[in-house]
Amino acid sequence: MFQLKSWPQFVLLPLAAGVCAVWVGMVCLVFCSRLSGMKAASICGNAQAECHFLSLANLFDRVIQHSARMHGISNDLHSEFELYFLPSKNQVSRVGRNCHTSNILTPNGKENAQRIEREELTEVIMKLLAAWRDPLWHFHQSVARNHRFNGYGSNKSLEMSDMAHELRKGVQKVVEKMQTLGVISNSVGGLASPEALLAADGSGWRFMKDSDLLYCFRRDSNKIQNYLKILKCRIVPEHGC
Amino acid sequence: MKRRLGLAVLLMLSAALRCRSASPPGKPVLIGCRSPEKETFTCWWEPGFNGGLPTRHRLFYEKEGSEEVHECPDYWSAGKNSCFFGKEQTSIWVEYSLTVVAFNALGNTSSDLFKIDDVMKIVKPYTPENVTVLVNDTANTPYLCVSWNHPPKVDTKSGWTTIKYELRVQKEDNKPEIFHPNKKNSFKVYNVDPGATYTVDMRCQLDQSSWSEWSTASVVKIPNYFQNEKPFWILVSIFSVIPLLATICIVVLKRKFVKQWLLPPVPGPKIRGVDVQLLKSGRAEDVINALIGNQNFPPAAAWMDQTEEYLLVSDSNDWLLTDPYISQKKKSLVIPAGVQLEIQCRTSAPAQSDCENAEVGKDGKVEPDHLAQTKESVLNVAAPSVSSGSKEAASGNAAGPTGYVGIQQHKGTQGAGPNAAQWDYSWVKEVNGETIFILKNEDAAAGWTVPGWEENTAADYSRVKEVNGDDVVLLQKHDSADSSCKKKEDRSAEWTNQKAKSRHGSDCGKGACLQIAGNGYVDSVPRFYVE
Repeated sequence: MFQLKSWPQFVLLPLAAGVCAVWVGMVCLVFCSRLSGMKAASICGNAQAECHFLSLANLFDRVIQHSARMHGISNDLHSEFELYFLPSKNQVSRVGRNCHTSNILTPNGKENAQRIEREELTEVIMKLLAAWRDPLWHFHQSVARNHRFNGYGSNKSLEMSDMAHELRKGVQKVVEKMQTLGVISNSVGGLASPEALLAADGSGWRFMKDSDLLYCFRRDSNKIQNYLKILKCRIVPEHGC
Repeated sequence: MKRRLGLAVLLMLSAALRCRSASPPGKPVLIGCRSPEKETFTCWWEPGFNGGLPTRHRLFYEKEGSEEVHECPDYWSAGKNSCFFGKEQTSIWVEYSLTVVAFNALGNTSSDLFKIDDVMKIVKPYTPENVTVLVNDTANTPYLCVSWNHPPKVDTKSGWTTIKYELRVQKEDNKPEIFHPNKKNSFKVYNVDPGATYTVDMRCQLDQSSWSEWSTASVVKIPNYFQNEKPFWILVSIFSVIPLLATICIVVLKRKFVKQWLLPPVPGPKIRGVDVQLLKSGRAEDVINALIGNQNFPPAAAWMDQTEEYLLVSDSNDWLLTDPYISQKKKSLVIPAGVQLEIQCRTSAPAQSDCENAEVGKDGKVEPDHLAQTKESVLNVAAPSVSSGSKEAASGNAAGPTGYVGIQQHKGTQGAGPNAAQWDYSWVKEVNGETIFILKNEDAAAGWTVPGWEENTAADYSRVKEVNGDDVVLLQKHDSADSSCKKKEDRSAEWTNQKAKSRHGSDCGKGACLQIAGNGYVDSVPRFYVE
């Protein structure tokens, strides 16, 4: 009695079609619900401030990691340079060493860095990063052209230049995010003031010696890293400070 | 006069002597500077020969980008011959140039210039504090739990410093293992061996600075769990050895029995009642007698070409079960292959005379009894059984054998369609006990004039739909256009064999069975009434 063979075809075909349609519908439903669930999980409503701050902390972590790496590379390069090209430390005269970023007022201690405004600290970071874009690029060019370093050094100089460029973009993103959240005021100029500064002090770095350039950049990259850490712990202190 | 001259000479000599031992101070040497937390730093120097006179040392420093000379703000906080630079005087990322000058009555001496490129370079934290090591022995897997605090004076909250720790674990005199904990305050060391002694110490680093000194070592010994549990294991082994030995003894002593139980011998061929020895050694006649004499063969019955039996036909379960008369009978139908019987209905219960009884008389004629139509028409055909002992009973059966039997001769293939078969109808001539004598076709003419049959020349025949096994014959409902049949359209019958009482419940229910499929007919009209 229940043998399917005995059922007429005009019953079987629609039945099979109906079953298929039902199954497809169920699968679609399941997927849609999952997708919507996932969407709901990933979209943070504007009302959820916690969600925003978490992602800001994440951004900060990334730029801090990036700056740490950049500082490491600059440190390596400077050590190598001193090892090969300046065997005697006594030759370093303290008069000669004058970084082109000296006119940027930077906080020189923890208290100073904590005391100044967030906007000012952010501006300092941006200025420093902007000031080093061209010098690093030219340094890499001269290294590659003159074959002063070995291949390792040449690669490192290129990497250093790229990282400085990327870090600048990353910090700009962080600034935008902070401005969106209202953490800092919109007075922090994006590109206007660093560019103006650069124009004003444009040619100062061209006359620097390579050793001085490396020395100065190593120091400035360390400043950038520390300022970013201070800024993060001032703005999002609950995430790993 | 002379005395005064002598005194003067003496004084001048002593003065001259004293002047030769004193000298300006020797050159001090700046040993080094250290910042423990990246906010302050201290510098130490080593004074030179003091020149025999009280000497005072002063430290002067210059910062990068400024020609102003400053003097050390604090000579005492860090001990002797040191200079402590507080938070206000400390500037990171600024170059310091230091000089120590020794002053005494006769002059001063400056040390060499000591440059600090960057305070970051002289950072070296103190050791981590309160390094404690505990042995946790959960579930027999011991591990070391090391906990510590951050070095003193270091700010860990503001993000100004990032501390990295290093943990060193040394097992007795092996090579030490280095770990880098991720957590701030604790770490677990898992690969420790019970019974071994471990030395644990730690150091830390601020932002890629120099490592601190190693903390004071903690020495721990892991308790030896195996030792503690040794008596337990000894007991366990003893208690497990005793049954093992007992088992072995038993097996050895009773090995025959065990062998028999494990590997039972395969019985040789044996015929009951026959002596094997006789078969081996006896003569042929003895052997044959022994073999054959043991068997109880049933007596050979006279086999007819076609043995037929009575079938009890009923469409009522109750009738079969309750009828005592039927239950006594053992009927079985033996249908030789190739012969399909169509057996007419016959009632055997005189009380329920639904069917017309037909008693086969001596002359082979069947005289049907007129039956009253009742709800439960019972068709019963008593069939002779093969087994002996029912001969007499069969003859006394009120339900005589049917008068009419349709025999379908299957020619050749058994699976041939019913239409292909030829139907042979013949009268049952006589039921002699277990046998049904069938009239041949030649005699059929006479048989056709059975009284009660003339009016129904076109007798109602019911075809046997199928023989279900050897016990059930299912009749088909007569669907033909035969007028006489139409009256009896509702006839249904169920043919069952008495033997198959238990199998009475076939697919057909009471009186619901017959479907004519074109098989042979079974005469149903004059013999029985069915509903």
